[in-house]
Amino acid sequence: MVTTIARKDLQLLFRDGRLPWAGGVVLVLLATALLVGWERRAEISTERAAAQLLDYDDWVAQPERHPHNAAHQGMHVFKPDPALSVLDPGIDPYVGSTIWLRAHLQSELTFMPAQDATGLQRFGELSPAWVLQILGPLLVIVLGFDAFSSERELGTLRQTLSLGITSRQLFLGKALGQAMAVGVLLGPAAVIAALATFAGSGAAIGDIAARLGWLFLGYSLYVAAAVFIVLAVSAIVRSSRLALVALLGIWIATTLLAPRAASDLSRVWYPSPTRLAFNAALGADMGHVAEEVWQENFGLSTQWSPELPLDKWGLALQVDDHAGYGVMDRHFAELWDTFAAQQRAQEWLGLVAPVLAVRAFSMGVAATDFSHYRDFSLAAERHRRVLQDVVSADLVKNADPRGTGHFDYRAGTDLWQHVPPFQYTPPSVAWAVGHTMRSFGVLLATLLASLAAALFAVSARRAA
Amino acid sequence: MLEAKNLTKRFGATAALDSINLRVDPGEMYCLLGANGAGKTTLINVFLNFLVPDGGEARINGLDVTRHGIETKRLVAYIPEQVMLYGVLTGLENLSYFAELATGRKSPDDELVALLSDVGLDRTASSRRVSTYSKGMRQKVGIAIAMAKKARALLLDEPTSGLDPKAASEFSDLLRRAREDGVAILTTTHDLFHAKQTGTHIGIMKRGSLVANFSSETLSHTDLEALYLQHMQA
Repeated sequence: MVTTIARKDLQLLFRDGRLPWAGGVVLVLLATALLVGWERRAEISTERAAAQLLDYDDWVAQPERHPHNAAHQGMHVFKPDPALSVLDPGIDPYVGSTIWLRAHLQSELTFMPAQDATGLQRFGELSPAWVLQILGPLLVIVLGFDAFSSERELGTLRQTLSLGITSRQLFLGKALGQAMAVGVLLGPAAVIAALATFAGSGAAIGDIAARLGWLFLGYSLYVAAAVFIVLAVSAIVRSSRLALVALLGIWIATTLLAPRAASDLSRVWYPSPTRLAFNAALGADMGHVAEEVWQENFGLSTQWSPELPLDKWGLALQVDDHAGYGVMDRHFAELWDTFAAQQRAQEWLGLVAPVLAVRAFSMGVAATDFSHYRDFSLAAERHRRVLQDVVSADLVKNADPRGTGHFDYRAGTDLWQHVPPFQYTPPSVAWAVGHTMRSFGVLLATLLASLAAALFAVSARRAA
Repeated sequence: MLEAKNLTKRFGATAALDSINLRVDPGEMYCLLGANGAGKTTLINVFLNFLVPDGGEARINGLDVTRHGIETKRLVAYIPEQVMLYGVLTGLENLSYFAELATGRKSPDDELVALLSDVGLDRTASSRRVSTYSKGMRQKVGIAIAMAKKARALLLDEPTSGLDPKAASEFSDLLRRAREDGVAILTTTHDLFHAKQTGTHIGIMKRGSLVANFSSETLSHTDLEALYLQHMQA
């Protein structure tokens, strides 16, 4: 019974042209987004890998110089582009890809592609994830808004129910029909997307396959929830026209407006400082801590006082830097915890606007979300400290003993090579999935709630 | 086969059905006459379990339709004033779909084409989209669905309303054949001539009550008309 109804609904969608036309438009957009994403990743991956090598070569090829000058030159590290960024570039275009590791201060990611983008990009990056998250529910609405209402208007609902079909069988058949219609479109698209993700990616096949599997599961929950919501409205509303208007209203509110509102609300609930305020607070704390350690270690009340003997200059640098590590850790942790709290709030708001939950889940699985950004930033900072410690230790060992001749000391390639190249291993799929369990749970809850709503709506309506 | 016992249905203060008692046995055709709003369609809806009665019982093959809604629907076929089908599907596709829902199995196309042919739709007509069908052709598909279902009772709600005389006559012939095959038929109609010609029993409903109930053999067409007008004017 259920499959009979599903097959008939699929046939109707083909015959009335909705599936070929609406689905075709979405497919063309998906294909375009996939092509753009694939080209972007191919270009970026090559560029970043080459830049990472060149930058380290520059570091090693420095002429003989005072090591602290070398530390000020520092080096750049480039966030590797994850394989699934083809499907979901996440926050990468907005937070950047490169960190400058240099003496004294922790840096943040810079060089954001969004800085070079046109105003159109403010609407969202054209990516397969964006198409699925924003246009996916719209496609489901176009295909299913009249699933029940048109049957009621035509009289075929009475005809069908008079045959001894239960409301639940009819609902399941219609849900399966919608799923088949979406599957007919997105099934081949998913295969092509998987191939595009594998092609040209250096990541392990098992890792990519697992991420694709999770992504498929997450989007399946999202689309299924959309199907149930559409069927619930179609069952409860009197006419197809009303159902379409109601569903478009829900789509605009939950898919277009909610993300913006959620972003603003999360900032109200968990205010994050401006860059100016953050830098000022960090600078002030660094100053206080420095005063204490300088007093304690060198008996000086100000940093870099002219009274500091040059035979302690390297040691002072080491002490000063180490004193700042804790302060920077604390400030950045507070800042990032605030961002994480904002993100959590938005994920919970996914209970009323599922796009927020699927967006977070998709970015997390694709390794382009904030938790991955944070992981990379921490790895970069660890490497900066290695660089800084190698240089300071060399100054303590070789420059400080020269006393007043401290600044005549020159180091060369041997020292530069002591700083290893930056190597970053992105978190595993298990780590990524662990960090997205909240949004996955929200998606699952949304699915169950929408299923319950649809079952209630269908059973509440009698044929007569 | 079809039985109403003190069947009552109210919409607010209005009694749409007021203690209706009737019985249709296999091979009988019961024609319900009455003005619009007399309660005829409400009676059909109660038998289909689309409406729950406030009192009394509607039974199909001895089963209470309220408690055994799904089982009783599987025993009957329903043909409304206008059989509603999917316009973008052909007659054959519509029959195939509804027959599969009714029987739980997919019938071979040849079998379905033969059924459509039996009710007067040839192969060419059955392969056309239903959106091009006349009302009479749709009603024939409705009968074909009932035949595919092998329904033991038919519930017809003004099935010949709006049909041209030839189509109405063809439809009546199909019903007569069904009746002769032992199917119990309960039909509502405004057409006294059709009721007298095809019905074995005739009832007249007024404001929810069955005010007359008799065998069609006991009255001439003229008597029926006079009786009907007498009740309507009372």
